[in-house]
Amino acid sequence: MSSLRHNIQLVVAIMVLLLTTATGCMRWEYGTMEEFRVTESGLLICNEGNFQYGNASLSYYDPETKSVENELFYRANGMKLGDVAQSMVIRNGVGWIVVNNSHVIFAIDMETFREVGRITNLTSPRYIHFISDTKAYVTQIWDNRIFIVNPKTYTVTGHITCPNMTMESGSTEQMVQLGDYLYVNCWSYQNRILKIDTRTDTIVDSLTVGIQPTSLVMDCNNKLWTVTDGGYAGSPYGYEAPSLYCIDAESFTIEKQFLFKLGDAPSEVQLNGDKNTLYWINDDIWAMDVTADRVPVRPIVESRGTKFYGLTVSPTNGDIYVADAIDYQQQGIVYRYTAAGELVDEFYVGIIPGAFCWK
Amino acid sequence: MRRLVVILALLFVVVAATAEERTVAIREVTVLGHRPMKEIGVQQTKLDSVTLKENVALSLADVLSFNSSIFVKSYGRATLSTVSFRGTSPSHTQVSWNGMKINNPMLGMTDFSMIPSYFIDDASLLAGTSSVNESGGGLGGAVKLSTRPAENRGFGLQFIQGVGSFKTFDEFLRLTYGSERWQVSTRAVYMCSANDYKYRNHDKKENIYDEEMNIVGQYFPIERNRSGAYRDLHILQEVYYNTLRGDRFSLNAWYIGSNRELAMLTTDYGEGTDFDNRQREQTLRAVLGWDHLRSNWRTGVKAGYIYSWMAYDYKRDPGNGIMTSMTRSRSNINTLYLQGDGEYHLSDKWLFTANIAAYQHFVLSRDKNIILQQGGTGIVGYDKARVELSGVVSAKYRPIERFGVALTLREEMFGNEFTPLIPALFLDGVLSKRGSVILKASVSRNYRFPTLNDRYFLPGGNPDLRPESGFTYDAELSFKVGKAERYSLSGSAAWFESYIDDWIQWLPTTKGFFSPRNVKRVHSYGVNLKANLTVDITKDWKLALDGTFAWTPSINIGEKISAGDQSVGKQLPYVPRLTSNVVGRLSYRSWAFLYKWCYYSTRYTMSSNDISLSGTLPPYFMSNISLEKSFDFRWADLSLKGTINNLFNEEYLSVLARPMPGINFELFLSIRPKW
Repeated sequence: MSSLRHNIQLVVAIMVLLLTTATGCMRWEYGTMEEFRVTESGLLICNEGNFQYGNASLSYYDPETKSVENELFYRANGMKLGDVAQSMVIRNGVGWIVVNNSHVIFAIDMETFREVGRITNLTSPRYIHFISDTKAYVTQIWDNRIFIVNPKTYTVTGHITCPNMTMESGSTEQMVQLGDYLYVNCWSYQNRILKIDTRTDTIVDSLTVGIQPTSLVMDCNNKLWTVTDGGYAGSPYGYEAPSLYCIDAESFTIEKQFLFKLGDAPSEVQLNGDKNTLYWINDDIWAMDVTADRVPVRPIVESRGTKFYGLTVSPTNGDIYVADAIDYQQQGIVYRYTAAGELVDEFYVGIIPGAFCWK
Repeated sequence: MRRLVVILALLFVVVAATAEERTVAIREVTVLGHRPMKEIGVQQTKLDSVTLKENVALSLADVLSFNSSIFVKSYGRATLSTVSFRGTSPSHTQVSWNGMKINNPMLGMTDFSMIPSYFIDDASLLAGTSSVNESGGGLGGAVKLSTRPAENRGFGLQFIQGVGSFKTFDEFLRLTYGSERWQVSTRAVYMCSANDYKYRNHDKKENIYDEEMNIVGQYFPIERNRSGAYRDLHILQEVYYNTLRGDRFSLNAWYIGSNRELAMLTTDYGEGTDFDNRQREQTLRAVLGWDHLRSNWRTGVKAGYIYSWMAYDYKRDPGNGIMTSMTRSRSNINTLYLQGDGEYHLSDKWLFTANIAAYQHFVLSRDKNIILQQGGTGIVGYDKARVELSGVVSAKYRPIERFGVALTLREEMFGNEFTPLIPALFLDGVLSKRGSVILKASVSRNYRFPTLNDRYFLPGGNPDLRPESGFTYDAELSFKVGKAERYSLSGSAAWFESYIDDWIQWLPTTKGFFSPRNVKRVHSYGVNLKANLTVDITKDWKLALDGTFAWTPSINIGEKISAGDQSVGKQLPYVPRLTSNVVGRLSYRSWAFLYKWCYYSTRYTMSSNDISLSGTLPPYFMSNISLEKSFDFRWADLSLKGTINNLFNEEYLSVLARPMPGINFELFLSIRPKW
């Protein structure tokens, strides 16, 4: 009997030892909120993060001091930015960050980076464009509608349904405005630029370009520029050599077309501050006067043996900023060049730096 | 919380001490001494039926988390769970069921959350070189799953009903019939759950606005797992016939019907009711086998078929109440399988084996419906067939009882490409009969072909991908001591090192889609410790403890992808350096108490191992317990079991933005009538 008691004691001792050493202790970072007060102008970088991993982030670079702050949104707000930070615009001291797969657009104060509001009830938002203080358009992928929102009340107020698109094949992207008309490129399995009358919120015209126009800007002469990626080999939608298009916004007709080689992947059409020089990525970084009739023979910045992912040009001094997402699973790096193409600085940001926004 | 557990433990002991019922058999101790020629130098972890059948609600992914040092990456409860050996990727784990490879030929990996542990009678984990005996392509290792006859006589029936947290219902039914020559079994598992567990969302905050839409307050919301319900049905039919003159025939057919929602991310601000994100699967796997046994040779033939239909739908209600497709993807896989194998014992000292397996895959993948430029609709996808052949011969030689050596040569063909010869060399020797101290060592080269999606997926498939290649060597020292009906203690320490070249990784392109490339060179190495203790404390009290510990650095040693690359020399993302688990079983007569514990160290989410705010997943411990009581009535055997998962209500993540459930409970009633 005493041996039984002894054995029970032994078992209890083992159990207690097991249980007490095995209690949980996961360390979880509760977000603390840091104070920021940034009054200077600078460059904001939207780091997309990995699709479905919710690790998008926001970085800020001060071109004067060459200093960079990463994970700004998380640090200022104590919560994550979300899944795939697609784009950002600033209006009246408020930054609007479109977080595609989080189905949200965050509005943040541009001095403190604290959230001031958010727009939800979106399908898969890509870009936001302000028509007025109380009206903005939000383009979508996987939805054949452009959403109309009221940024004052953070609510969706209506939709513009795009013709010849289903939910599944829906894709509207970047927007530029001339007077009362707004232009939007349709990218994924699309080949059109749509023209929208912002007074009536209706599509009034559409222009067919090449396969998959990726980006859209408007130069100092009110010419629209878009570059197509040409699709991919085996695509049922077609596969062709990509092109850079110059479109007269007023007449909504193609004025110039610059053809690339089949297999090239040009992207990210951008303009300088005066909107008279056009920039894009096609392995290297290319620059061209908006009045030129042929593409230059040499790039302004040569490829660094990698696929550049994002591009922007400083509106103040014409410095060129180009992002390398490296293996898309680590901090991307941004290289800063002068307008003449000399390397000035390089800095690490977040995962997949895709979009820039000048403050 | 600790105090509560101690009280619970004490309570159990007290209750157990006062109970007087029939003794429950605990884990059988395998008698050491006999070392099969077939397993010379092979390092494997075998999971016995006590482990596999511990809980009807568990998938094989759950079982492996707590009973092996294999790494299970789980995207949530009843959600995609992949397993990987020693810091490799899930597609480096080859999985076979009754001899037939069941890795998805499109993706290369296997979803272990779709394998109910109640359907598996034997499971072996073969790490590194040891996998070459079973299949090629196991750069990490192989998981060998099989069923076997119940060996019952007459009719048998078992029914288990489970009811648990989050509106979870698990049902299991098994019907068996056995005679001298025939063994017939039908098993069915039906699992369904709303799976709407609560968790505190640390990734987002809810805002409180004033009338002018100014934010006046914020808080981390307590949310439910949104859109995570599931409903899985599995049916397994087995027929075995033994001629009793050396021929055995078998038929195994396993049907899966699964309908699972894909839970929303923690960072999703969409309304759960506005979206429908769902994955459905219908799969049939069937294997017909014939084994012909003679005194010194054996031959066998197997033929099989796999049909798999998988559907992924992402829908949204545009406001009219009708869920409309945003993504509609469908894939059909038809696989034919034929295998022949033979063994020949030349003498007590020599064994020769040969095996050839052929698979013919037909894959139709339709991923997107689009409107074409010229009008009309088109489908983005691919339609491909591929033949895969794998042949292996081996010679095993044991000149003296204490020493054995084996050489295995494998050759594989995928489509019209051949791998170079895959050689594997195994050694084993008994260092000391006292304590059964055995040293095993092995070395091999291995290759893995790109999957069909790697090559052909639209957009992005890369037909120019090279096969991944690996080189592995490992050694293991094991011992076993014991005293019959008193105690048994065994343990092993293994060291391994492997190099994988041309590691395939899907990277985004500038055109907005992903494409696979041969990018990395990976060096993984480490130590694996295992221990097992069983003690018959008294005639009534029995204790069994199993533990594993693994240290597995898995380092990217490739060239920099570009000048800014900071990933060289760093641990691969989502691979923990340290994992450990302990399972303790304590039984007293008809009572059984089980404690399961596992630990994962920090996992990096970035290849550069940044300790940024979302760059790491915190380490966690997980503890599950269960208490079972068996009743032996004249008309039936009954058992009642209660389980508590996540005992300490840990908030933990296995993958970023995918919350895991807190403490949860399930109660099981098992009935086995006596006819």
